[in-house]
Amino acid sequence: MPEAPRLVALALVTVGALMAISALTSRLTGRLGVPLLLVFLVIGMVAGSDGAGIDFENFELAFQLGTLALVLILFDGGLNTAARDFRAGLKPAAALATVGVIGTAAVVSLAAWLLGMDGHHAALLGAIVSSTDAAAVFSVLRGSGIQLRKRVGITLELESGLNDPMAVLLTVAFTQVLLGSRELSAWLALEVLGELAIGGVGGALVGYGGRALLLRAKLAAGGLYPVLTLALAMIAYGLPTLLHGSGFLAVYVAAVIIGNSKALPYRAGLLRVHDAAAWVSQVGMFLVLGLLVTPLRLLDVAPLGVVIALVLAFIARPAAVALSVLPFGYGGKELLYLAWVGLRGAVPIILATYPVMAGEAGAVETFHLVFVIVVVNAIIPGSTIRWVTDRLGLRSAEPPPPAAVLEVTSTEQLTGKVLAFHVDKASAACGVAIRELPFPPETTVMLIVRAGAMVAPRGDVTLTPDDHLYVVTTTTDEPLVRLIFGQQEEM
Amino acid sequence: MKLVDILEPGRIVHRLTATTKSAALRELVQRGVVPPEANTELGVADEEQIVRVLEERERLGSTGIKDGLAIPHGKLERLDQIVACLGLAPQGIDFGALDGQPSRIFIVLLAPESAGGLHLKALARISRVFSDSSLHKRLLDAPDVDTVWSTITTEDQRY
Repeated sequence: MPEAPRLVALALVTVGALMAISALTSRLTGRLGVPLLLVFLVIGMVAGSDGAGIDFENFELAFQLGTLALVLILFDGGLNTAARDFRAGLKPAAALATVGVIGTAAVVSLAAWLLGMDGHHAALLGAIVSSTDAAAVFSVLRGSGIQLRKRVGITLELESGLNDPMAVLLTVAFTQVLLGSRELSAWLALEVLGELAIGGVGGALVGYGGRALLLRAKLAAGGLYPVLTLALAMIAYGLPTLLHGSGFLAVYVAAVIIGNSKALPYRAGLLRVHDAAAWVSQVGMFLVLGLLVTPLRLLDVAPLGVVIALVLAFIARPAAVALSVLPFGYGGKELLYLAWVGLRGAVPIILATYPVMAGEAGAVETFHLVFVIVVVNAIIPGSTIRWVTDRLGLRSAEPPPPAAVLEVTSTEQLTGKVLAFHVDKASAACGVAIRELPFPPETTVMLIVRAGAMVAPRGDVTLTPDDHLYVVTTTTDEPLVRLIFGQQEEM
Repeated sequence: MKLVDILEPGRIVHRLTATTKSAALRELVQRGVVPPEANTELGVADEEQIVRVLEERERLGSTGIKDGLAIPHGKLERLDQIVACLGLAPQGIDFGALDGQPSRIFIVLLAPESAGGLHLKALARISRVFSDSSLHKRLLDAPDVDTVWSTITTEDQRY
């Protein structure tokens, strides 16, 4: 066989095998409470230069792949964020994403400086690890079956979606200071505000433009709609970035606007494609970052990294939370939870590749230090999240996974909606016959799934605990329907 | 079913003082569901169980439905008939409502375990009567319990 096809085949087998192992071992996280990112990182490390021998040292490619992955993860997160949640959590999340990021960076920098790093490198390190990670937070909060009380969950998710821009801006600025290409000045603050403003406005423009486009475009095949939304995700990042705005903020804002469109064509299918894209991104990104690291070099920086990670978990994050969200009236337990769950993930590692690419001396060491901090952070607090959620009583009722997913597919703008519910014994509808449901004329039960069987919703069928119910209704009647059944399932 | 059949003036809390969701549920039960002055088959001894039943339902999703209206509800084995109480909080309480707005009008509904159909009818009735936002304003502006009660009896006859 000629050399080139053989190499491609070998690369595909290797990547395929690594991705398959990552997907298959994901179940471990549920059993052992280990965050997924740690599993994927370790698989990458084991496959890397000090393990199975895959020699991957391309920081630039890792940065490019990482950026694309973050764009897809943030876009997926935004698509699944309800507008009302966005509005409700925006103020505290914005405070955490700005004041909180600066506070975290300041405390970590101070600790690193006290531990012997020079001032500039300490400041750079603080900036790199200052933002929580959307992939880590989304996967812990959405992917692990933890149903957090709404307000806390929304704040954490929004924060992770919004705080990357600030960390990116600080990292780039401090790298430039280290390279002597800029001076630290008050202009930095204005620059940050400008980039956030351009990102926010750019994201809103792409979001509303994309929404209108999706409504009007009549594409040749249903499968082309995800192509259009993926394109919008990339444009939402690229355009504002080219205009010196925050691309990450823009992607998130655009996705929230598109996701909340009342008539998104092929909604369920689109969301599934983006969910899959986000998972592929997560697996791929952490594998690549695991491959990039040289495990033996980690040993050199491990003691310092562990100490800084502990400072981050026990001092920096709580201080940042106290500084930024105290005025928003959270309860003691909620504050404690916000202070504890400041998960770091791929963002700091990707940011740490930036000084390496810029050719900053000592950047490779910083990269490995950041890697240690993220890994320790995945264990403390990462692996304690489930336990802490229960101890603080912040877990809300957890419906079993939906029995079936029903989708009404249409490129037309249909009025009405299909909602799915799980019948709990605390629900008012439990034990009631279908004919007794006091539904308005436009609302009806269309299907019951009971113990793996589809049950026709005839009038004499009595609802029992653990039934899954599919109701067709209108926006006007939705509050009453939700009041009657209570536990809505995701569709 | 009319609201006056399940509600009475002794079960109206003119001003709730709670500021959180869990405190509001407890205050509604203490001052509206089991107060000594209400004509009731429920007593102070039932307080904990009632609060627990209401909290279990809230865990499924907030009963704060929209426009400041919340209808916490649940089933109790030892009840013979449906019991309701009304509480007003013009200052608004974060009840995790579906529309993200603070809740100001609270109607607690407790039904016998065996009366599922009636329970649902009462929920639908309350949600219909209170769909009129001008009623919310009149109730929140009412200076005392008597005015609240007469406003409700008048409104009840309209539907």
